[in-house]
Amino acid sequence: MRTKRVRAGAVVAVAAALVGCTAAVAIAAPTVHRASQISIGFFAPESGFAAADGQSAYDAAKLAVNQINAAGGVHGQMLKLVNYDDGSDVKQAVSIATKLVTQDHVTAVVSGSYSDQTLAAAPIFQRYQTPMLAAYAVNPGIPAAGSYIFQQDYAGNVEGAAGAYTLVKMLHATKIGVVSIDNDFGHALVAGFKAEVAKLGASIVETDFNQFGEKTFTPVLQRDMGKGANGYYMVQYAAEAQQYMTDWNQLGLKKPLVGTEGVDSTLQFVKPVGKAADGLIFTTPFNRDGANAVGKKFISTFAKAYGHLPDMVGATTYDSFLELKTALLKGTSAEAIQASIAATRDFNGAAGTTLRYTSGRSAVKPVDLEIFRNGQVHHYAYIRNLSIITP
Amino acid sequence: MFVSSLIEGIVIGSLYALMALGSSLVYGLLRILDIANVAGLVLAAYVGQDVFSGTHSLPLALLAGIGSASTLGFLLQRLLYRSLLGRSPIVPLIASVGVFIAFEELFRLIFGPYELNFPASVGLPSFHLGGNLVTGVELLIVLVGCTVLVATWAFIRFTRVGLTWRAVAQDRETSAAMGIRTSLVMGVVFVIGYGLAAVAGVLLAINYNSITPTMGDIPAYKVLAIIVLGGLGSPLGTIAASMLIGLSETFVAAYWGFVLPRDSIAFILLIVVLLLRPQGLIPGEPVRA
Repeated sequence: MRTKRVRAGAVVAVAAALVGCTAAVAIAAPTVHRASQISIGFFAPESGFAAADGQSAYDAAKLAVNQINAAGGVHGQMLKLVNYDDGSDVKQAVSIATKLVTQDHVTAVVSGSYSDQTLAAAPIFQRYQTPMLAAYAVNPGIPAAGSYIFQQDYAGNVEGAAGAYTLVKMLHATKIGVVSIDNDFGHALVAGFKAEVAKLGASIVETDFNQFGEKTFTPVLQRDMGKGANGYYMVQYAAEAQQYMTDWNQLGLKKPLVGTEGVDSTLQFVKPVGKAADGLIFTTPFNRDGANAVGKKFISTFAKAYGHLPDMVGATTYDSFLELKTALLKGTSAEAIQASIAATRDFNGAAGTTLRYTSGRSAVKPVDLEIFRNGQVHHYAYIRNLSIITP
Repeated sequence: MFVSSLIEGIVIGSLYALMALGSSLVYGLLRILDIANVAGLVLAAYVGQDVFSGTHSLPLALLAGIGSASTLGFLLQRLLYRSLLGRSPIVPLIASVGVFIAFEELFRLIFGPYELNFPASVGLPSFHLGGNLVTGVELLIVLVGCTVLVATWAFIRFTRVGLTWRAVAQDRETSAAMGIRTSLVMGVVFVIGYGLAAVAGVLLAINYNSITPTMGDIPAYKVLAIIVLGGLGSPLGTIAASMLIGLSETFVAAYWGFVLPRDSIAFILLIVVLLLRPQGLIPGEPVRA
């Protein structure tokens, strides 16, 4: 009898303890109506072969977040940058995307990475309904991942078409040799380029796709010369473009040459190549000469913070955060952010003006053409034809 | 186009030979495929560039590069490879790959992710040959390549020290029993092997005016292909394989464009040659087990 009472007492005591603990936890845990920070995910190739671009993008991201927070954040809430290095690795980008949505619970994401990595990550953000802005990845498949995925830079086929317009209509090339990096970026641009060349009635003598790290372009350039090329389209990143220009100059070629935003890197191309690139015209969203107020502020604060002038990668990343801030001011839910970005009109950023987004979430913005003169980059022209710049 | 491709192929082949010779010597001696040798190549490029920036002296830059890479080679054999000698050959290979990857990230952390330039003038004139421009650097690569390769071959073949190396390569235990200081021989081979890689690294950096932390990626696996294709443990085979690969890559690009990834050509050649001649182009001397 006494044992039964002791047992019953113990059970009641344990039950009371459990109820008490639960109550204590319920009282202690604050009821959170509003987060104190807004987490924004960010990933870029901060190591690996693309580390220079990744570092530039990350620097711009930090600058943007610092400036936004210094100005009071978003209705008093500070932005928290949740940054990961994807190491220029697609598999890593997928892991990062999963982590950002399932563990870090970010409100939105900016991709400061290349097309391959962004293309792999986008479906994950779409699945978790997390808005993502691709700062400079241009593959058209990226916004096609879904309604929450936006492409802040103009699509690759748009840029390719603009390159074709420049070579054929402005520089009067009729037979063109194309050498492109063999990745999503390169293929997207070449597809747009070829389509526009065909429309304009010119022809392509040869198209070559090279691997990263290619250092010798003389054989293909000579072959294209032999086939009568009177214009050249170079879709390369800074390292490969540098070698291309070396071989170009060694061969003494004096034909029109158009490049792409892949060479828009202050430290990796403009500075080392300098006058050897004189005459090269390239498509980019970043007009240094005609920078608007946002652009001027970005250039000066970036240079002050990091000791060198920014490039396209930095400018587009910076703009992505500014666009995100504009959207967050209207609402921090995924739906509100998505709707706000989709409704963007005439957004003035450091990398030009985004006129609007298409229903497919690709930016419509004029293509800036820059030219190398005396080793410096200067504005050459704008392509505003809606038939070209609308994806 | 044929003449320019021939010249380009010889230049590239000479660079490959310089890159691969050090690893070939190490393999010939120790039966270790040393991928970390390419870390010495990259280190020499960085150190050479740094010294050149301060002194504008190419000979000093080259000496500094060789010194740094040779020191790395000596330390690696002393601290890492010696303790792995008795293991299966895959163990030092994996270790060397790990060292190489670690050094890549170390270079990025120390020297930064941005490309550095090495705009050195080599003091040799550029000239036209068959209507094609041959730059002073390309001429230097071929001259240095030929000199180094011939000197290395002659050293191994005709000198007493070379004889010692060949003895150790054939049978390390018996050589030690005969009074040869095998540990000293190992150290010297690594120092010289990494020194050769350093020469390649500095010339590569000057020729392409580019140094990046990942510039060793392609040489790392291409060196493997060259050593195996040439014949394991055969410096002459290494030279032959380097030239074959350099010329093949250039002629394929010249006549068919980038129809294949350039670097795949080395491995396609490797497969074809090994199917027909499994011992490689010029096999090395047989090793007693």
